[in-house]
Amino acid sequence: MDKELIQQIRDKARNLLKEGTVEGVIGYERASDDLTSRPLFAYSPSDTERLIFDETCAHNLVKYLLDKKGKKIAVVVKPCDSRAINLLLNEGQIERDNVFIIGVGCPGMVETNWNHKSETLQAKCRTCQLFKPVVYDFLAGGEIERQAEEETYSDITEEEAKSVATRREFWLEQFGRCIRCYACRQVCPGCYCPVCFAERLDPLWVGIRIAPEENDMWQTIRSFHLAGRCIGCNECERVCPVDIPLSLLNRKLEKDVKELFAFQAGLDPEEAPPFATFKKEEVMEFEK
Amino acid sequence: MKSAYEPKVIGFLCNWCSYAGADMAGTSRMRYPQNIRIIRVPCSGRVDPLFVVKCFQRGADGVLVSGCHPGDCHYTEGNYYTRRRFALLREFLDYLGIAKERLRVEWVSASEGQKFAELLSDFTAELAGLGPRSKI
Repeated sequence: MDKELIQQIRDKARNLLKEGTVEGVIGYERASDDLTSRPLFAYSPSDTERLIFDETCAHNLVKYLLDKKGKKIAVVVKPCDSRAINLLLNEGQIERDNVFIIGVGCPGMVETNWNHKSETLQAKCRTCQLFKPVVYDFLAGGEIERQAEEETYSDITEEEAKSVATRREFWLEQFGRCIRCYACRQVCPGCYCPVCFAERLDPLWVGIRIAPEENDMWQTIRSFHLAGRCIGCNECERVCPVDIPLSLLNRKLEKDVKELFAFQAGLDPEEAPPFATFKKEEVMEFEK
Repeated sequence: MKSAYEPKVIGFLCNWCSYAGADMAGTSRMRYPQNIRIIRVPCSGRVDPLFVVKCFQRGADGVLVSGCHPGDCHYTEGNYYTRRRFALLREFLDYLGIAKERLRVEWVSASEGQKFAELLSDFTAELAGLGPRSKI
């Protein structure tokens, strides 16, 4: 744990609350296993003493801003989480003036489980090229130096090299395990529809029974709704209780959107997302 | 000659061009395979990827999304959005194991009855070649 960094976060949070700049601060605190972390909602200056930051703080706290609309809130964000702020700004879900962003440079998050912390970096962190948030009001701990592997999407190209039938089998096996707990949706900063298509009864897009074809429908549309919007925090995969490799879906779309439309979500709050714009002269593969 | 396997095709045709194109094929008495079930939509931009995925989930062998040629959209720009959306959906479905050949996106104008008939013959033959989709 970086004591200096944590002190800076605490001081900033305390001052913000004391001065009344914000109503609350969303950050991380030590979980009750005394090893991993959990979100903390600090509403009084004394609460801020519990704030921490280390390599177990994987949660994307930007999701909680959606529950605090219209209130002035400070939030601790890692570089990947900061892209979610740009996404929500772009989509008009939050107002920049209502959010105070306490950015932190990120050394990469490690794989954790209850009562267990490994030394292995999470897969998304190994190739992450962002070391400081893309948007912030205060950068705690300053900028950090770090080396990352090149992003080659090797996991995706490996899948793409397989036959269609093999892929079908693979995904049916994966989706067959889905229990449709919707944790992937609940944790996603991009999933905020008041009524999710999966909960509509008329028309009934996704049947209520937990069956492979219904799960297939759910996962296909869930990930496609995030095409050009997923910011790669990979929270969906982290919270999945049956370990469906959701990053393989999100990263495939991310890769294709990059190739087809030269777009990456959450880097610029002003840039029009790929499906809200077009170029008259572009030619897609099916037109050739 | 009828083979034992007849692929099921769902077609989403835009009201202004492709549906009229299909009508043209009909009124001109052109022959085309009867495998298609046509759903008329106001614009190809109305077709939500959800519709297509649902078709496949319910057992369609192929889906055709067809609208006005780029630049000719009745609503000026609806089909430009369609183009982007389905370019990505084809890749994604292919990745999930539904061959991209099963989802066709075509531009057919109101005067292209001949093109519509040929396109359907071609699509149906291609689907017959691919065979039935593996059941879940």
